[in-house]
Amino acid sequence: MNASRAPALELVGVERTYAAGEADEVRALRGVDLTVAPGEFVSLEGPSGCGKTTLLNLIGLLDAPSTGEIRWDGRSVGSRTDRERSRLRLEGVGFIFQRFYLLPSLTARENVELPMRALGIARAQRQRRASELLSEVGLGGRERAYPHQLSGGEEQRVAVARSLANRPGLLLADEPTGELDRVNTEGILALLEQVRRERDATLLLVTHNPSVARRARRHLALEDGRIVSDVREA
Amino acid sequence: MMSTGGSRRHRHARLQAILAVAAIATAVALPVVLISVGGGVSSHELADLQDAGYQVVVSAAGLHGIANAHSLEEQILTIGSVAAASPVLSVAIDAFPGGGGASPVLAEGVIPGEFGPTLGPAESGLFPLPLPLGDPTDRAHYDHGTYAGPATYDVLVSSPFAQAFHVGTGDTLALGPTSNSSDSVVYDVTGTFGVPPTALGPTGAFAVILPLSDLQVMTGYANETSAPVTDAADTLEVAVVPSATTQPGVISSVRNQIQALVPYYGVSSLSQEAQQLEAASAVLTGFYLALSSVGLSVGLVFLALVLVRRVESERRSIGIRRAIGQPGRSIAFAVITDGVVLAASGAAVGVLTGFLMVEALATWGTSTVQEAAQLAVFVPVTLAELAAGIIVLSLLAGGWASRTALRIDLAEALR
Repeated sequence: MNASRAPALELVGVERTYAAGEADEVRALRGVDLTVAPGEFVSLEGPSGCGKTTLLNLIGLLDAPSTGEIRWDGRSVGSRTDRERSRLRLEGVGFIFQRFYLLPSLTARENVELPMRALGIARAQRQRRASELLSEVGLGGRERAYPHQLSGGEEQRVAVARSLANRPGLLLADEPTGELDRVNTEGILALLEQVRRERDATLLLVTHNPSVARRARRHLALEDGRIVSDVREA
Repeated sequence: MMSTGGSRRHRHARLQAILAVAAIATAVALPVVLISVGGGVSSHELADLQDAGYQVVVSAAGLHGIANAHSLEEQILTIGSVAAASPVLSVAIDAFPGGGGASPVLAEGVIPGEFGPTLGPAESGLFPLPLPLGDPTDRAHYDHGTYAGPATYDVLVSSPFAQAFHVGTGDTLALGPTSNSSDSVVYDVTGTFGVPPTALGPTGAFAVILPLSDLQVMTGYANETSAPVTDAADTLEVAVVPSATTQPGVISSVRNQIQALVPYYGVSSLSQEAQQLEAASAVLTGFYLALSSVGLSVGLVFLALVLVRRVESERRSIGIRRAIGQPGRSIAFAVITDGVVLAASGAAVGVLTGFLMVEALATWGTSTVQEAAQLAVFVPVTLAELAAGIIVLSLLAGGWASRTALRIDLAEALR
């Protein structure tokens, strides 16, 4: 952690409210304040429906807060236009989803190329980098395989490779091991720790599995839309 | 492994795409057939007009509506620059070839000396000129409207008629106004003539040409009290002298002078007729397009629905792409491109189908339809405009679908 650098992530009084019916509304997040330093590995725990995924979506700019401010590296990003948010996502965030979310019509390498393609990187360059990333996650020989030809663990490895494609500073993982067995869970967590360490990326991992959460150095607990616990390991 | 549901969805999407292409193709094929055949017939008629040997035509309302045709011809011939004025009376009569049963023929009554100069280059080769029908002026029999002078009783028969009934020059042929042979009069066949191709309808293959006064007397359109007009004709075609054929001012002046003589008849120059024909053709083309636009609208609504359906079924995929950071415009572009490709495929298949339909009509249609289809003209510019119009409309359909794509809630799509 570098004290002179701006926080990788700051949330100030962030709330998210959804309309539910004509008069009712659901407050998914209630005044969340959070600061995450660059390179930190943070777990976010809590029961189902407590707002974990909502918080992750707001941090990853997939959604906009009803009130409050979100900053990345000191820059306010929460209320940007849709187009600007797309660009920020493309360059600044790597997403890893519980269900992998690979595009079934693309090969492993093409899935990894996708963010680079959106960024306009030349074909040869992105093919080379995608191959390198797949080798890094241990799928060197599986570049031409389609998602339906891969195991769950392999699919998630491709998803990790895809999340790293544009060298993001922030990795957001939403239950990345939720659909994996124990061996694959260990493998993916080790991989995430490795890439975080090697790339000095900030990793925010949502889980309700305590053994997964233990891998992080900082543990946030969310309840009813509020952060109720924030524990840093020494 | 790819799920059965996934492959079923792919098959479903493919079927929808095929149906969208088929709907657009059907909507395109119809105007292609109508415009190409209609345009071809109009062009043919226009070419006929441009090839005609006369420049001004007089017509009247009703059947055989021109009265005093002989005297009108005399008056028109006194107008400067007029070379010939040919009244023509067309009446269906009966012929009795070989003394047998009645056979209907189209009879044309003409003034022999005036008819020849009003024929165009293509037609004049079909007739023996000057027409061997006795008195070239038709004045002896007409005799100042008394019809008391000697008739020539000469007739020319069309080649198809001559072949069908083995009638030739030197033979006789009984002609009468009805199928009752006792009303008929025997004529000398003095020659045969070819039948010019016609744009539409049954050709006047069984036709005869005889002096105007003869036909008027035979059919009661001379000076009979029972006839609605005396000395009747259907049209009067006027040819100007060769040096004036390319001078619109002279032709217009001739037209105006004739109009002054007969203010109650229609007098028009062929250039006016050509303009009217072109205008009518344009109106028809517009009508065909309007008619086809109904089918086209259905096809494009179908296309829009197919695209929206695709977007709906690709919600997650779109959500993933957007979550990764793919710009909305690139997703919209992909959806619109999808629509344009489908519409362009439909347009291409439609044009090809239209072309094949015209070919089929020209080969297997009824004689009238065959004749029309054979005249069909495929104008690349019109077809390209039609295709461009469809592609522009497909942009609207794609725009609608891409709007749906961009409104997908990312958080919900990835849930």
